[in-house]
Amino acid sequence: MSNEEKELLDAARNVVRIAKQKGAQEVATSAGKSREVEVQWRDGALEKISEATSRSIGLQLYVDGRYASLSTSDLRPHALERFIEDAVALTRTLAPDPFRTITDAKLYEGRQAKDLGAEDPSYDSLSAAERLQQAKTLEALCRAERPFGKAPEILSVTSGVSDSQSVGARVHSNGFEGSRRQTSFWLSASVTLKDPDGRRPEEYGYGGARMQKDLPPLKDIAEQAMERAAGRIGSKKPESGVMTMIIENRSAGRMLGSFLGPANASSFQQKRSMFEGKLKTKVASALLDLTDDPFVHKGFGSRLWDGEGIASKTMPVIKAGVLENVYIDTYYGKKLGWAPTTRSTSNLAWKYGTKDLSGLMRDAKDAFLVTRFLGGNSNGTTGDFSFGVQGFRVRGGEKAESVGELNVSGNHIDLWHRLSAIGNDPYPYSSMRTPSLVFEKVQFAGA
Amino acid sequence: MSDNLSTVAKAGFAYFASFGVDAPLVLQTLEAALSKGGDYADLFFQHRIVHRLTLEDGEVNRAYAGVEVGVGVRVLKGDQTGYAYTEDLTPDAMRRAAQTAAAVADGPSRARPQSFSIGKHHALYPLKTPWESVRTEQKLPLLQRLNKDAFAKDPRIKKVNVSFVDEAGAVFFVDSDGKVAFDEQPMTLLSLSCVAEQDGQREQNGYNTAARDGIEFFTGDRMDRMVKEAVERTTILFEATQPPAGEMPVVLAAGSSGILLHEAIGHGMEADFNRKGTSIYADKINKAIAQPFVSIVDDGTQKHARGAVNVDDEGNEVQKTVLVDKGVLATYLHDRISAKHYKVAPTGSGRRESFRHSPLPRMRSTYMENGPHHKDEIVKSVKKGIYCHNFSNGQVQIGAGDFTFYVKNGYMIEDGKLTRPVKDVNIIGNGPKVLEQIDMVADDLTIDEGGWTCGKDGQSVPVSQGMPTVRVKALTVGGRGQ
Repeated sequence: MSNEEKELLDAARNVVRIAKQKGAQEVATSAGKSREVEVQWRDGALEKISEATSRSIGLQLYVDGRYASLSTSDLRPHALERFIEDAVALTRTLAPDPFRTITDAKLYEGRQAKDLGAEDPSYDSLSAAERLQQAKTLEALCRAERPFGKAPEILSVTSGVSDSQSVGARVHSNGFEGSRRQTSFWLSASVTLKDPDGRRPEEYGYGGARMQKDLPPLKDIAEQAMERAAGRIGSKKPESGVMTMIIENRSAGRMLGSFLGPANASSFQQKRSMFEGKLKTKVASALLDLTDDPFVHKGFGSRLWDGEGIASKTMPVIKAGVLENVYIDTYYGKKLGWAPTTRSTSNLAWKYGTKDLSGLMRDAKDAFLVTRFLGGNSNGTTGDFSFGVQGFRVRGGEKAESVGELNVSGNHIDLWHRLSAIGNDPYPYSSMRTPSLVFEKVQFAGA
Repeated sequence: MSDNLSTVAKAGFAYFASFGVDAPLVLQTLEAALSKGGDYADLFFQHRIVHRLTLEDGEVNRAYAGVEVGVGVRVLKGDQTGYAYTEDLTPDAMRRAAQTAAAVADGPSRARPQSFSIGKHHALYPLKTPWESVRTEQKLPLLQRLNKDAFAKDPRIKKVNVSFVDEAGAVFFVDSDGKVAFDEQPMTLLSLSCVAEQDGQREQNGYNTAARDGIEFFTGDRMDRMVKEAVERTTILFEATQPPAGEMPVVLAAGSSGILLHEAIGHGMEADFNRKGTSIYADKINKAIAQPFVSIVDDGTQKHARGAVNVDDEGNEVQKTVLVDKGVLATYLHDRISAKHYKVAPTGSGRRESFRHSPLPRMRSTYMENGPHHKDEIVKSVKKGIYCHNFSNGQVQIGAGDFTFYVKNGYMIEDGKLTRPVKDVNIIGNGPKVLEQIDMVADDLTIDEGGWTCGKDGQSVPVSQGMPTVRVKALTVGGRGQ
């Protein structure tokens, strides 16, 4: 354990002690510290460098059967003590809540001792000059790209290099203690091109990793950004119609996220879940198989315990289209009489298909390929959704003309039953690791 | 030193004195910030105290209290920015932050300011009682009343959620030109959300109100309106269906329809995008882009508005800025960097989420001025289209100009009359094309009282918006009905 972790654990224990002294019966505390650095390079010159060292303390107070949560960045000892004292008094003005208890200590048991590969040991050796050089090179690489064999008219290119290192500790008054360290590194490039019709389409490429050495080559990011931006040139609004929809892996998280959004105890208990009454029933095509997997090596959502201190376990969420489990925290679990699982998603493991995006397009023959979502929303209570999208028409199994100013609408339960193929291409820069997805007979609104 | 100056500077130093901030520390930090040859530096101190109470299942049994304190140090060299912040307001930590931000430049050090000056501060949100002095017991009845009244209003209501937020605190700004600004910035937001049930079907919706105001903002009338709107907006969803898919005339109701302006033109007029050449409006200043009866403004000076600010986050005077003047594109929204780039005066639009962020040109309260038409005449003019009056969110692509907004409640218009209700539909259009297609504007401008928040580059700031009833000749409606 590093000295920083020891210091933060001590700080958290101290806060638990103060809160108990001020009248709380139980306390859960987290203490965190992070460093974030970002360099932006735009059109041949440095645009911005920023660097921050941040710290904070969070608490959940259980006072006389009542509950409040707190956070503060004012860590001066007398200010912190006063803040907790005031908060205990505030908590006492609330109505008692019999469902509100600190996490059951039994759920702390069985914590695994796996190495999640969350921290790059060489983080501190990354120099300011190195970040600057990467950002500069990435911008130049974008400008050197010739997407679809042509030099596009570039209006602006911004590249970004950022990284962060964070340390956190958690202490609960009923016995939980834990600490962890994480790093992450991100590269991005955003490109604005001139469309002969007067528009200035912008697209971006990005990639990230827990370890610096796992970052994709700068060239890949440049290629991604320029190809995507050039793909927007001449985009047209197509006719409305019912079509096959292919969602590219990078964008599929938007659709999946809004589908899984109400799959939790809070939404069930508050009567805001389209899944109510559907546990252990079929909510999607048999192709859909999702497991919450907190132990993915170097995964962005990996953890040995969750935000309530519950020891992590893998959990099947949807198996062959059947909703097996939902996300259950202590509080809403208690209100529903259900045993807690975990409050939120870690990483998702899928049953991937056998084909990449090109293969899926070839099979679909005639479709819309969605490469980006633009606004829209989803109603978690009814499952209705309506999103703005852009992408390409697929004709004869090949990517054809660029389309935009298009909406896709439907109901999630209906849509996920129409899932007809899953790609073999998990998106690596997200904890959801979405593959490309194919849905049949989807309503698009255009001209 | 003028009286006004000493008042502002004294108030700022007095507020932050308990954190150990005094004039010598500020000057030393600015000196460190300019030690590597930056052209300019500023310090942005902030203290923010947030309280939230939540009512669920009939009881106010959840509270949140949060405190943020810190200082952001910015150094500019030409258009280039160096930024660092610290939550530790000790001399060592502030010097380290200043030296980090200073690294954007590479040259001989520059002198710190010799004297202080202030720009104009408005006084837009005086409070009868500051939030620090309002006891929890005074807030609880507001939540309990909304809960009770919502259940009483309609037996179909099955769940009610109320959340009450108040914010107190201050920002204190000092820059290397000697400019000083200080502003105490209150905010409050009350949200009511309902779930209703009918024949086994469930619907959820809500209503919220927000202002830079005290507890006196929540008058009986406002509370009654919140209940009425939240319950009606929820229960009407049982009758609502999907509109058809495709292009059709869209009538936007007076009020929160200002979301269209926010997305279709507001963001595109933020000068940073134009300075970089990445906005679709980058070469359109002084060009006619809409009908002569279309005037659009962004105004930071509305009393108690959620989007109001007495002084912007760079110490500049806040204005009513005309974006479109009688159909002609007039003025961008500027922060310090863009104003300097375009050699114009700042518009008081430099805003930041907190001391953790450098300022950007941002909207405040965006709305369209009244036009020559009447609401009835506008609805009557539409053979088949939709009427939208409640929105949840919107988004825009600045360069391509494509934008969307999500309609939570609306009606079909058939043969000039509002007919069946519609729900949950996203609308998509292209900014400049849509402005050209606004062909009727009514005389019933309403500034919405809701708690809107605008996101840009990872920073959220409170905004307001408003609109008279407006007709857009054609927009793409993402429906799936008949």
